[in-house]
Amino acid sequence: MGTIKAWNFLRGYVIIRVEGLTLERFLNLAASNNIYLWDINRVDYTLLEMKVTIRGFRELKEIVKKVGCRVELVEKKGLPFFIYGLRQRKMLGFGFIIFFILVFYLSSLIWHIEIIGNESVSTQEILESLEKENIKKGIIKYRLDTDYIEYKLLMEYDIFSYTSAEVQGTKLTIEVKERDLPPDLIDEDTPCNIVAIKKGIIEKVIARNGKAVVKKGDVVEKGQTLITGIISDEYSDIQMYVHAEGEVLAKTSYFYQVEEPIEKTIKVETGEVFERRELKVGDRGLQFIRGDIPFDDYVEEVREVRLFNLDIDLPIKILVHEYKELEPKIVKQNVELIKDSNHMKAVEEINKQLPAEAKIISKDVKHYVRDNKVITHVLIEVLEDIGEKRLLN
Amino acid sequence: MDDKMSNIKYNISEALELPKDLILDLPKIVMIGNIQINISNHKGIVEYTQEVLRVNSSIGIIKISGSDMELKTILSEEIIVKGNIEKVEIIS
Repeated sequence: MGTIKAWNFLRGYVIIRVEGLTLERFLNLAASNNIYLWDINRVDYTLLEMKVTIRGFRELKEIVKKVGCRVELVEKKGLPFFIYGLRQRKMLGFGFIIFFILVFYLSSLIWHIEIIGNESVSTQEILESLEKENIKKGIIKYRLDTDYIEYKLLMEYDIFSYTSAEVQGTKLTIEVKERDLPPDLIDEDTPCNIVAIKKGIIEKVIARNGKAVVKKGDVVEKGQTLITGIISDEYSDIQMYVHAEGEVLAKTSYFYQVEEPIEKTIKVETGEVFERRELKVGDRGLQFIRGDIPFDDYVEEVREVRLFNLDIDLPIKILVHEYKELEPKIVKQNVELIKDSNHMKAVEEINKQLPAEAKIISKDVKHYVRDNKVITHVLIEVLEDIGEKRLLN
Repeated sequence: MDDKMSNIKYNISEALELPKDLILDLPKIVMIGNIQINISNHKGIVEYTQEVLRVNSSIGIIKISGSDMELKTILSEEIIVKGNIEKVEIIS
């Protein structure tokens, strides 16, 4: 029945009142002429109210003439009349069209540019370089050439190994991948020196090219030349410039100091608990406050009370905030244990600094107890290559 | 002659289990409780008020009495009446 009603609404119908004496004849004629009438009601002895389709209403005119009754239109209903009504209100339609145009226009702009994956190049920098190409917030997305953006960024920044630009709705997402740039390699034909990158005692110098200027046992400072690329002849003044190459193994030392107090104040729960209840509906919470928290120092713990024993996440929750009182307490630690843990900590720290190929020669650990503290010094001596190529100036 | 003819028709419809309202040109009256009545194969409305509806048919006039009666639809082959139906009479 509902579908018929909907269909009638779509096609539109009118409610009419027919006044006359031979109304039964009118009904019979309508039925035999295949005019669909429905919801016919006898309001009065001479009055009949009914519904009829728009086409049926036109066809009724002939019957009305034949029967000799009067037809009065009471109400027009349905979509066609509604649309007709809208047509009379031109400004409404105009506003409707403007609304759609506006929505369409605004959704075709780029409102946000997101850049993901950049670490060494700042987002601001990328945005500025895009802006030079007139790619910024507020441009129309259909004119955007994502392939061009990808290409341009790849060209402009050597560090990017991969770029992708994608438009999602009103958002332009640019994803970049940075590559680890290798250190500036010096061309094998360019003359250079090998200099020390850190302080150390020379253990072994292997000069494959160039001339070693340090020998075993020498103490070198950072930046000191180890293998020179300038070779001069004893008998002439001519100097030759070569690309120095070789390994310089030197003893270097790493030092780390750890301090740890023997007596430590830690906070201990006293067992005093203060509770507060909170009713949470969605993201909003309502706390039932019963005075201030009577402790100076406390930890807060939040516990959820389940209303029903159900395994679903209800939007309404009751939370209990528990405030547990804390009391400072001085604890005396075992000195031997502190020594061990200090030692471990120091070695760990040094290991982070050590180059991968370094060889450990010796380790020296010293503990001092001073001012109620255990101070641990760890000194590690390693053998490593301290040479680095540097261009001749 | 007519009697003979309708007799044959009746027998055929009986034998072949065909609907008699179609073969014998009889009205078919379907009642849903006392709130709705469907009359198919009618021959026009004779009288309609909220209290009385008289419909012509091949077996005579079907008179339906009740209150608040409303014609839900009128088609050339079917009439649907809605309302509080109290009595159905066949006046031949």
